[in-house]
Amino acid sequence: MQKLVTIIITLFIFQQIGFSQKDSAIVNLNEVVVTATRSERKLGNVAVPVSIVSEKNIQQAASLRLNDILNEQAGLFLTSGFGTGIQMQGLNPDYTLILINGEPLIGRTAGVLDLNRITVGNIQKIEIVKGPSSSLYGSEAMAGVINIITKQPINNNYSAGIRYGTYNTTDAHISAATKFNKLLVQVFSNYYSTNGFSIRPNSVERTVAPIERLTNQIQFNYPFSNKTKLSILGRYSYENIINKIAVTNTGSTTYSDGIEKHNDYNINPILTHQFSKKVNSALRLYHSRFKSTQDLSTNTPNAYNDYFLQDFYRAENQTDINVNDKNSLNIGTGYIAENVRSSRYDNKDNVKQSNIIYGFIQNEFKANNKLSFIGGLRYDKNSIYASAFSPKLAVHFKSSKKITLNASIGRGFKAPDFRQLYLNFTNTAAGSYSVFGALEAQTQVAQLDKQGQIQSFENDYYKLAALQPEFSTGMNFGAKFLLSNNTFIESNIFRNDIENLIDSRLIANYKNGAQIFSYLNVKNAYTQGIEVNISHKVNKNITLTSGYQYLETADKDQIELIKKGLVFTKDATGVSRKMELNEYFGLPNRSKHMANIKLLYEKNNFFFNTRLMYRSKWAVGDKDGNGLYNNNDEFAKGFVQLNSSIGKQFNQISLQTGCDNILNYSDINNLPNMPGRTFYISFKYQLTKKTKQVR
Amino acid sequence: MKNSITKLMTILLITATMVSCKKEDAAIDTTNNGSFKVYTVGNITTVQNLMGDTILGINPTTFQPYGSGKFTFFNLATGQLVANTDSATNKWDIAFRGITILTNSGNSGPGLGGAYVQVGVFADVTKVSSDSTFRVDNAPSYAITTGSNKGWYVYNGANNLITPIPGRVLIVRTATGKYAKIEILNYYKGGVTPAASASDAIKLSQQRYYTFRYTYQASGSTTF
Repeated sequence: MQKLVTIIITLFIFQQIGFSQKDSAIVNLNEVVVTATRSERKLGNVAVPVSIVSEKNIQQAASLRLNDILNEQAGLFLTSGFGTGIQMQGLNPDYTLILINGEPLIGRTAGVLDLNRITVGNIQKIEIVKGPSSSLYGSEAMAGVINIITKQPINNNYSAGIRYGTYNTTDAHISAATKFNKLLVQVFSNYYSTNGFSIRPNSVERTVAPIERLTNQIQFNYPFSNKTKLSILGRYSYENIINKIAVTNTGSTTYSDGIEKHNDYNINPILTHQFSKKVNSALRLYHSRFKSTQDLSTNTPNAYNDYFLQDFYRAENQTDINVNDKNSLNIGTGYIAENVRSSRYDNKDNVKQSNIIYGFIQNEFKANNKLSFIGGLRYDKNSIYASAFSPKLAVHFKSSKKITLNASIGRGFKAPDFRQLYLNFTNTAAGSYSVFGALEAQTQVAQLDKQGQIQSFENDYYKLAALQPEFSTGMNFGAKFLLSNNTFIESNIFRNDIENLIDSRLIANYKNGAQIFSYLNVKNAYTQGIEVNISHKVNKNITLTSGYQYLETADKDQIELIKKGLVFTKDATGVSRKMELNEYFGLPNRSKHMANIKLLYEKNNFFFNTRLMYRSKWAVGDKDGNGLYNNNDEFAKGFVQLNSSIGKQFNQISLQTGCDNILNYSDINNLPNMPGRTFYISFKYQLTKKTKQVR
Repeated sequence: MKNSITKLMTILLITATMVSCKKEDAAIDTTNNGSFKVYTVGNITTVQNLMGDTILGINPTTFQPYGSGKFTFFNLATGQLVANTDSATNKWDIAFRGITILTNSGNSGPGLGGAYVQVGVFADVTKVSSDSTFRVDNAPSYAITTGSNKGWYVYNGANNLITPIPGRVLIVRTATGKYAKIEILNYYKGGVTPAASASDAIKLSQQRYYTFRYTYQASGSTTF
């Protein structure tokens, strides 16, 4: 008993120290992050750009879905179309791997994982790693990795909350964690619904449709012994979207009504065992299923039915070895099986399969107190396309307590997805064009040709070949300056060279003039820029943070064409002239400048914050018809979004209210998902019974 | 202070002159907002708002827009429209219907016509290639290829707009075997493409109005 009291007192003191440290410095460089190296490292010792979004950040911004909070982070650009995706370091949403507790979320449409599907109600923190991370994570981790880490259960912790706002947007959650002997169980449930909204006046179509979403999570932690632990994470989420779509094509409007449903679940048992003080091993099993259906009836005889079912299975072992004082080693190996069935392919009953075997190794070498190197590589062998080899090297240099420097270079890749391989889609509504996946295209077109439906073949038809993975080489140079306990500056310069980009190309023409497309490895591009983040504590109560990203992007082949004088543009009268390189704007849908400034006032249990986000103009349309984006093309205007929130905590109850998009900015054509000004109020009850804190 | 105002005024004046000069160089009448007009400055003839079978309505079953289905015929030598009744003669050189441009050749007409598409700026195209470069009409395929990004125009499926591809010059052999170079400037009424966000009704009613400019070599010379 005395021993227990001592432990509690010691814990209490340590906690106090922990808190006071946290309070005194503007950033906590001792915070542990796991995503950058797949092992626990202090934030201050990581050699690649990592940022953390804490639970407090999420709560004070009153975010509901993952996109709400990512929208407020420097250098992340939200995209619309097939849901809300995230653009990192100027790369499309396809190239950012999204993990939940280290396991990939599945169910991408046209490469986009809709961030709206993910509630932030039970998140402890979000770790964002920028730069290629395929050396640890394999495919998709080309631009970076976003890892959502859900709350670890704490015994006798109960909470419930509800938020209500404009457009009848309701979000409620309940969570509980308790212990049955050694077994620690946590359940979490979140319900979200909105009436949606339309920013087009008098439109039947909602720019955001009425939606209902439910997320349930359960976690079991069971220690067999001090050395062997089992945890099982389960998650189920459900999304029901009421579609009312009006498509106007050459003057006539087709109205479609129906329901779109997305279901996904995942289950993730993890067994960890400590073989010795130096050797830890984890066996992770993961299964996830994503199912999407869309059934629409229309005012024409054609109904629209879409079916998509994806299964993902993974088994993986990772062993961490502290070889000696200077070397720590991570070795992993795993197997992935993926199955997809879809009406978007030849036949929804045909299962499309891919299997991957992979292995990775990473070593951190501490040369001395100041200098360390991390080298890693991963090999992925896939059953369908060529194998990928992803090395990475990083250097970390702590020049003084105040300044640290990082440099890293790595290779990232993205495997061709099922759509690019198997799509079999003919649009009967809009001109009967067809898109065939690379594995289907030749047989399909040959068959159509036999039936006498093909008018002509394009050059690209003869270039059709097995798709190769897309590759990138990314470099990051970063510096961190802890100028004082109150001021922290962090900057990162990046460059990504992307080869073998897959793009759709015209391969043949139907006799009726309609076109047939498929996918080829054709493009080469680069993105480069600088990101700067500054945090400054003005006084005991006021904190200012600010982030900025400058971004340049280009299609390398287009630059070649411009240099050769083969790209033209038009003046207002339609007269053509050669286009100069300085008129080239780069890839579409990317802002050169993105910035945010956030002010936080905290006193006792009260807080007030105001957050301003800015995006400069971005190219949306090729007005002059030259196939690329130059200064006289169509741009979406740059804009400022201003959000603010205020809250107070009374013992176990927190109250919060706020307003998003205070300036009421909207852009019907380019920001269809952005409503005007919205208000909300939320209420939360949290109860933690004080017992000994055991995880 | 006064000095700097004078300077500023001078700069503004010079800029204004330069802008107006530039407009004169291009010799496009930007005030014409819809009427058919042909005029020649130097050796460049500009044709504005040539109606190439403008849209009459939408077919209620196929939802496709339709016009009268007739071509509008044009003589490059005279700079005048040619009656449809003369479609089987050598009186016309080119004809327009929607995005299709005919030459008086092959199965389109009895003439010596033909064409090819040259990549480059109008002023820089000074020589006609050898006869073997020329293609003739063989409907449904034409000397001037139809199809987005294949001949003279690009179709944007996202906003349903047709834009002439910049840097494309149509080299045309006329019905009588003379040569002309043509630059299509715009496909919409008044020479102004509707905004991407404009309604479909506007996009449909304003399209199929050709504005183009050309240089014709009456001597039969192969240089411009």
